[in-house]
Amino acid sequence: MDIWDVRAFVYRYFADTTRAPSTEDTARHFNISKEEAGKIYTELNHRHAFFLEPETLTIRMANPFSAIPTDFKVHANGKTYFANCAWDMLGIPAALHCDATIDAVFTESNGPVQLEIRDGQIAQGGVLAAEDGGLSDMLVHFPLPFSRWYDDLVFT
Amino acid sequence: MLLFRSEEWIDKWCKRNNLARGEMLTIGRVWELSKLWYGNRMSVEFHGRSSEQVAEVFRQVGLQSCFWLMGT
Repeated sequence: MDIWDVRAFVYRYFADTTRAPSTEDTARHFNISKEEAGKIYTELNHRHAFFLEPETLTIRMANPFSAIPTDFKVHANGKTYFANCAWDMLGIPAALHCDATIDAVFTESNGPVQLEIRDGQIAQGGVLAAEDGGLSDMLVHFPLPFSRWYDDLVFT
Repeated sequence: MLLFRSEEWIDKWCKRNNLARGEMLTIGRVWELSKLWYGNRMSVEFHGRSSEQVAEVFRQVGLQSCFWLMGT
């Protein structure tokens, strides 16, 4: 068992349960101590494989999955996941290779919006996002350049 | 990254938060980016990406401005 096996376990646990595994869950799965699991969590956090709440061993994000409720809900495979952001709400069906219904909220204007992922395409109310302009008004804003994404991941 | 109904709402949000506008992508383009960025995320073989691999993903969806470069 190496740290990447733990990374894979964390992602599979999220996919199966919609929650992040605790160090106890991971220790039990790999038959290691909670302290060993904690050291591996710290190393994987350092390597940006997933992200811990500051000064804790609690997983906050394993992108695209969020361990805490957000405005980006993804219904897929009979489960409801929370995504970290507007990009990650699309990242969950992309990672799981499945259809999904996404309930999100527009920032600033505050209205709800529902999107559908079906057979690899994205649509809203039957209108496909397409090169000919479908859904072209619906925008995702990336506030920081890529080089600064990891400065403050919650803000990003 | 937040979702907006239109460009006008991005400008309002940036102004209210005293932030410069970053880059905005249509939802369709973000979906194409998501498939490339996250498509192999569940694989046990995924150990992260090199800067060259990141640049290649961005290039495939036409994101080649300095905003998308590492170390800018």
